[in-house]
Amino acid sequence: MEWNFELVAGPYGGTTEGPAWDGSALLFSFTHGNLVLRYNPTTGQTTEFRKHTNRTNGLAFSARGELFACQQFSRRIIRFNPDGSSAPMPYLLDGQYHNNPNDLAIDKQDRIWFSDPIHRLSLMSSPQPHFEHQSVLRLEQRFDRSWILRRMTFDTSSPNGLLVSEDQKTLYVADSSPVTRLAELRAYPIRDDGNLGAYTVLHTWGHDHRGAQRGIDGMCLDEAGNIIACAGANRSGAGPMIYVFSPTGRVLSTHPTPVDDPTNCTFGGPNLEDLYVTTLKGHLFKVSNTGHRGWLIYPPKS
Amino acid sequence: MYALDVDAVASGFERIVPPNAVLERISSDNIFTEGPVWNKAEGALYFTDIIGNKIKRWSPAEGTHVVMDPAGHPDGLTLDREGRLVVAGWGARTVWRLEPDGSATVLATHFDGKKFNSPNDIIVQSDGAVYWTDPNGGCYNPGMCDQDVQKYHDFQGVYRLSPDGATVSLVVDDFEGPNGLCFSPDESLLYVNDTLRRHIRVFDMQPDGSVTNGRVFYEDKFPERGVPDGMKVDVEGNIYCTGSAGVHVIDPAGRLLGRIKVPESVANHAWGDADWRGLYITARTTVYLVRLSIPGIPHGSWPGAR
Repeated sequence: MEWNFELVAGPYGGTTEGPAWDGSALLFSFTHGNLVLRYNPTTGQTTEFRKHTNRTNGLAFSARGELFACQQFSRRIIRFNPDGSSAPMPYLLDGQYHNNPNDLAIDKQDRIWFSDPIHRLSLMSSPQPHFEHQSVLRLEQRFDRSWILRRMTFDTSSPNGLLVSEDQKTLYVADSSPVTRLAELRAYPIRDDGNLGAYTVLHTWGHDHRGAQRGIDGMCLDEAGNIIACAGANRSGAGPMIYVFSPTGRVLSTHPTPVDDPTNCTFGGPNLEDLYVTTLKGHLFKVSNTGHRGWLIYPPKS
Repeated sequence: MYALDVDAVASGFERIVPPNAVLERISSDNIFTEGPVWNKAEGALYFTDIIGNKIKRWSPAEGTHVVMDPAGHPDGLTLDREGRLVVAGWGARTVWRLEPDGSATVLATHFDGKKFNSPNDIIVQSDGAVYWTDPNGGCYNPGMCDQDVQKYHDFQGVYRLSPDGATVSLVVDDFEGPNGLCFSPDESLLYVNDTLRRHIRVFDMQPDGSVTNGRVFYEDKFPERGVPDGMKVDVEGNIYCTGSAGVHVIDPAGRLLGRIKVPESVANHAWGDADWRGLYITARTTVYLVRLSIPGIPHGSWPGAR
C-alpha cells in the first residue's frame, strides 16, 4: 500500500527532529531555531513548546511522563519540567564532559540510553575537549535516587538513533563509520546484569562511487516489535525512505518519502496509528495509512 | 615569572607597560578563574572559580584560600560602597551580596517576571546603583550551570539595580553576548563589550541611570585565541579589555595602544595593590599579576574612593 505523507507543519528550512507523542499532540525539535514545537492534530496548529533550547535534538518521555531532551550544543541531557524550567542531568563520565547527545531511549527502569556522537561545530566551539570515542551512554539512578552516567558501548563509531525493545531485552542502535563507510542497524542483547552483549547486524548500508549510503537516522517501534526507520538519501543508494524491519532484520517493506533526508519518526494519534516523520529541511509529515500501530513507553496503554 | 610578551602597537604603550614588566603566576590549581576584585582594606584579591564553584581569596602573605564553596557557579565580582562583595551569580542566575558574616543576601533575581539569563559581570556606580550584563552562557555551558538551565528572556541585555535596591531596569537589550562593562573615570560613559560580536560599545550615561547614543568603540580583529570578556578603565580613561592573545590596551579615542599577551585564555582582570598599579589577570586555571605604570580606578569603602 502506498503510504500517504501529509505535510502538517513546516518546512522550517532547518532540521526537525526528535518527534515525541505527549498523549494528545506531537512535540518535535526545530534544532536550528532553538525551539521545541508542538503540533496539535485536533486543531492543526503548531505552537512553541520551548524556546532557547540550544539545539535540543532527540526528545523522549519516560514511562512516568517526564520529558527528556538531548541538548546537543550544551553537551548534556536535560529534563523539561512542567513548570517551564529545565534541569540538567549529569554530564561527566569519569570526570570528562561527554560529547553531543543526539537521540535517546528510556527503558522501563527509567534508565536513559543515549547516543553521544561528536558534532563538528561543537569541536570548534566548545571549551571542553570531547571523548576519543563516540558511544552509547546511559543515565541511571543509584539506590539513593542520585543519577550516574555510564558508558555502554565500546564498539560504536558514530551512533545515532536507538531503541529499547518492548521486552527490554534488546537495544537497537544505528551506527555508521567514516572509516569503513558502512552504516549498520545493530541489535545488542541487554543482559540481565544491565550490560550489553555482542551485537548482531540486522542491516547494512554500503557505499559506491556516489559515496556512502545514508543509514538510519531515527527510528521507532510498532506493537509487533518491528522497527520503523528513517534512512536513505537521493545522493546515493536507493533514495530517502521509511524502512520496516522485522525484529530479526527482515525488510518487510519500504516507503519512499516525498522529500530528501527523513530524520526521525514516531507514532502518535489516539490509537498510535499515525506515523510522524521529520526531515533535514524541517518538514513534519503525518502518515495515517501505514497499517502499523506504534508501541510507546508513554503514554501508558489505556 | 614570565618575561612579559607584548604586542606594542602605538606610542604610549610603553608609558603604561614598562619594558621590564614580568607576568607573575600568583594562584594555580583553579579550574576557571573569573571576577577578580581587590579589597584594599584587607590587601587581598577576591576571585571566583566558575566551574570549581567557589569564591577564593589571595593575599601575598597567605596565598589562596577558599572563601565560599559551593557558591552558585559565580562569575564577576565587585565591591559596593561598604566594601562588601557583590556577585554576578552566573549559574545561580541572581545578583547577590556576600555579607561580612559569610551569609548571602540576594539582591535581584528576575526582570519582567522572568529569571535572569546568567549575570556575568558587574559594577557599582558611585551613587550605589549596580549594573550587570546578562548573556546566556550560565544556562548553556555545562559545568557552569545550577539547577535550572532554561533561558526565559528573548534578549541578552544590561540591567541596573537602583541605589535603594528596589528597582531592576533594563538598560540595553540588543546584545548577542554582553560581557565586560565599566564606566569612564568621570562616570559619563558606560563601556560594554559583546563577546560574540567581538567589539566594545560605548554609551552616554544619563542622570536617571539610563544610557543613550550607543556606538561601536573598538573591534577585536586579531586572529589569536581569546575574546572580549572582562574590561576595566585606568585613571586616565584608557580601556583594558580581554581579547585575542590577552589584554588589549585601548586609549579613550578607541585606538589600540598594544596588547599584553598571556599564555592562557584571559577571562577578566582587575587592578590591585596599595598603589592600584598591579593588574591581576584571571586566565583559566591561573591568576597572573603584572605591574603597570598607570594606576587603575580605586574602588571600595575607603576615603576618596568611588
